[in-house]
Amino acid sequence: MTTLTATPPKLDSEALTLKSTSLWQITWHRLFRRKSSIVGIIILGLLVLIALTAQWIAPYSPILSMLDAKPPQDIQRRSAPCIYLLGCPKDQPQHLMGTDGNLRDEFSRMLYGARLSLMIGLSTVVFAIIIGTILGALAGYFGGWIDNLIMRVMDVLLAFPSLLLAIAIVTVLGPGLINALLAIGIVSIPAYARVMRASVLSVREMDFVSATRSLGGNTYEILFKCILPNALTPLIVQGTLGIASAILDAAALSFLGLGAQPPTPEWGSMLGAERNQVFTAPHLVFYPGLAIMLTVLSFNLIGDGLRDALDPRLVHVSS
Amino acid sequence: MKRKLSILLSLVVLASMLLAACGGGATEAPAATEAPVVTEAPVATEAPVATEVPFVDHAVVTDTSYSADSCDYGGEFKSIEAVDALTVKITLCVPDPAFPSKIAFSSFAIQPSEYIEANGGNGALLEQPIGTGPYSVVAWERGSQIVFKAFPEYWGDKALVPNLVFKWGSESAQRLVEIQSGSVDGIDNVGTDDIAVVQADSNLQLKAREALNVMYFGFNTDPQVTGWDNTKNPFTDEKVRQAIAMGIDRKRIVDNFYPVGSTVADYFTPCAIPNGCVGDAWYTFDPAAAKALLAEAGYPDGFTTTIQYRDKDRSYISGQTNVATDLQAQLKENLNIDATLEVMESGAFLDAADSGQLTGMYILGWGADYPDQTNFLDYHFGAGASIQFGTKFDDLTAVLKQAASTSGDEARKPLYEQANNLVKQHVPMVPISHGASAVAYLANVTGAHTSPLGNEKFSVMDNGKDTFVWMQNGEPPSLYCADETDGEAFRACEQVTEALLSYATGGTAVEPALAESYEANADLTVWTFHLRPGVKFHDGSDFDARDVLVSLALQWDAHNALHTGNTGAFTYFSALFGAYLNAPPAQ
Repeated sequence: MTTLTATPPKLDSEALTLKSTSLWQITWHRLFRRKSSIVGIIILGLLVLIALTAQWIAPYSPILSMLDAKPPQDIQRRSAPCIYLLGCPKDQPQHLMGTDGNLRDEFSRMLYGARLSLMIGLSTVVFAIIIGTILGALAGYFGGWIDNLIMRVMDVLLAFPSLLLAIAIVTVLGPGLINALLAIGIVSIPAYARVMRASVLSVREMDFVSATRSLGGNTYEILFKCILPNALTPLIVQGTLGIASAILDAAALSFLGLGAQPPTPEWGSMLGAERNQVFTAPHLVFYPGLAIMLTVLSFNLIGDGLRDALDPRLVHVSS
Repeated sequence: MKRKLSILLSLVVLASMLLAACGGGATEAPAATEAPVVTEAPVATEAPVATEVPFVDHAVVTDTSYSADSCDYGGEFKSIEAVDALTVKITLCVPDPAFPSKIAFSSFAIQPSEYIEANGGNGALLEQPIGTGPYSVVAWERGSQIVFKAFPEYWGDKALVPNLVFKWGSESAQRLVEIQSGSVDGIDNVGTDDIAVVQADSNLQLKAREALNVMYFGFNTDPQVTGWDNTKNPFTDEKVRQAIAMGIDRKRIVDNFYPVGSTVADYFTPCAIPNGCVGDAWYTFDPAAAKALLAEAGYPDGFTTTIQYRDKDRSYISGQTNVATDLQAQLKENLNIDATLEVMESGAFLDAADSGQLTGMYILGWGADYPDQTNFLDYHFGAGASIQFGTKFDDLTAVLKQAASTSGDEARKPLYEQANNLVKQHVPMVPISHGASAVAYLANVTGAHTSPLGNEKFSVMDNGKDTFVWMQNGEPPSLYCADETDGEAFRACEQVTEALLSYATGGTAVEPALAESYEANADLTVWTFHLRPGVKFHDGSDFDARDVLVSLALQWDAHNALHTGNTGAFTYFSALFGAYLNAPPAQ
């Protein structure tokens, strides 16, 4: 009897993994057929590379000011980019993106900023996905008052403009990078909870779930071994797009002085600190702004590509 | 039928709720009166007797005078008398050579007594001051602008441009764009990096403002925050404060973050103020000695703290985040002190500073209101000063009190030498810079000037149009300047209201204003002001001695029914004249 109940779900999940491998192959294939997603992947790949190797490729410290170095060369605060190949004298210190208001190398700060931005995007989305998935799964699977309670709370969260809610949370917790991450994470939970709940609702009554249930699978097995793998695709799409908006929100919070605190090299706070120098030192506003844009763009392109690639209605048409 | 029933039901529910609300009070009342009679009454009457002194009114008030029953209350004023309609006599408890400079300050502007009494220190008084100045307030559109119009019956030189508008923008880049596009005629505090841009622009003229100010890093030795454990506050230790004073390279800050013309502050008060820089100059930068001193104080590995500031441009600082970041870096490099930056909203920051609620180091500054040492040292470290630095230093307050009542710069010199040395010894703050700043006007503005006191006078400027637009850093908190401390408010008030005396346009010399002339007795304790006849207020009423009496007495007497305003603090009065009459007992 025990062997009977134990084997079928195992078989079932084996079948699932087999099926999903082929789905991933198809997805990968389809993702690479779209030019826009290739662009996104290339940008993201570069960013990841920069983030991983920042400490080796950054020519200067991103935090230490060079003010007290008393350099032989006369470097100024907020000086324009100095690149030998573009006509800057060779004996000048080479600052590819110039220096900022506290005489730090903007290029080094930008490199470290990539690390921070990716970290922000991934960690908030992972946090939101974990919490959101659990909440959504519980709501969808059990229904009734649990569903009502969880989803009404999510509705309330969704009713606030997300950035405003994040600002409110940070104001309560106090400004700082960790608190900002927490705030953005909390704000993005409802999206994942909804997606998860919808998937659970559609999968819950399927035959293989009923089969597992009738064979005595417990709630945990049913929820996380049967239902979750089948609900994963929309979560991945939502998550990829969510990283983009999390990075944007974090940059906005930092710009307002509520996120990363100086001297942390965060793109949003770099932009905010030098916002008054738009005309006198435009490079200090241009580069962080460009970097934020490219990062967000890459995640959006990949997210869009993934959505199309994972859409089951399109799978049959083109493969 | 059903609908009728439900309406009836809801009416019944509503009625019962109403009954409950009204009836509840009626039934509760006896219970409330009963309880004290039985048990609480004796306790309740005992407690006040033990702790509270019954209130004794120290003010002696007649129709034409307001006086203190004695000088024991600790302040400088003895009495204010309206001798006749055009003569006011102010008697002081101690001689005060700086009295004309002080009384000329815009906090002590005169408004019609009837208007003040009608508004009770609140309401319209905060938004619609009625003065005697060249401009009157037309409308204050909160969050957007203040509109003034020229006062046709002004006693002096009438305003050259019929309309004046005050706008504000906290970003220096925004102000620069506004003036470059010609939509405003003048802007305050050109950003440090923008000065060259303005100089190169033939459509603009740059006016440098004399550095009659100080920027400092403050400490609070006794934060008034609930739950704050002051035994763990490193700043209570004088050696820690001295170590920081030695461990900050002030020259590096001034060289890098201040425009040309700024100087490193070796004293709290700028040298242009008589006796400003006498005594020993500030500690020289010596990180090794600083570190040793910090170790001696018990912090060999440094400690963690916060740097609190507001991200607003002022005449004494521009780009606060850069300065704060550099301070943070220096504290780490030189003293191994880990500081986190905390940007606060400007108004909340000032309130917190005034009420002693800042807990870490903080960046603040001071611009002169009138050119006298009392405006710098007494306002910050005197007996009547706020508790922004925590516990006061008794030796310092005593010297300052003595110096303030001594006349003659030469006689005061040894006292201020002593005071400056005490400031250096106690280090309530680290003075960093006397910062130059600049104001920009369109090139066609005639009469363009800056004032070292920050009170530019727009009635003497002419742009050839019917409206002059001025853009400053921030919106005034209110326009009742008796109860304000923000320079953004004072500049607006100064266009509208006037005091007995005033400062020369673009300068610091004291000139007659609402008082045509004044004289003092030999020991500088009795000051008689002869008021200008025929002066009209903006509401058409006549200016007389009673207006002076009411305007000043309400600030002086904390028990006066009119002693309320935006915050009710009337900070300047107590800071400049020592104490309020009938001041509430210290807690």
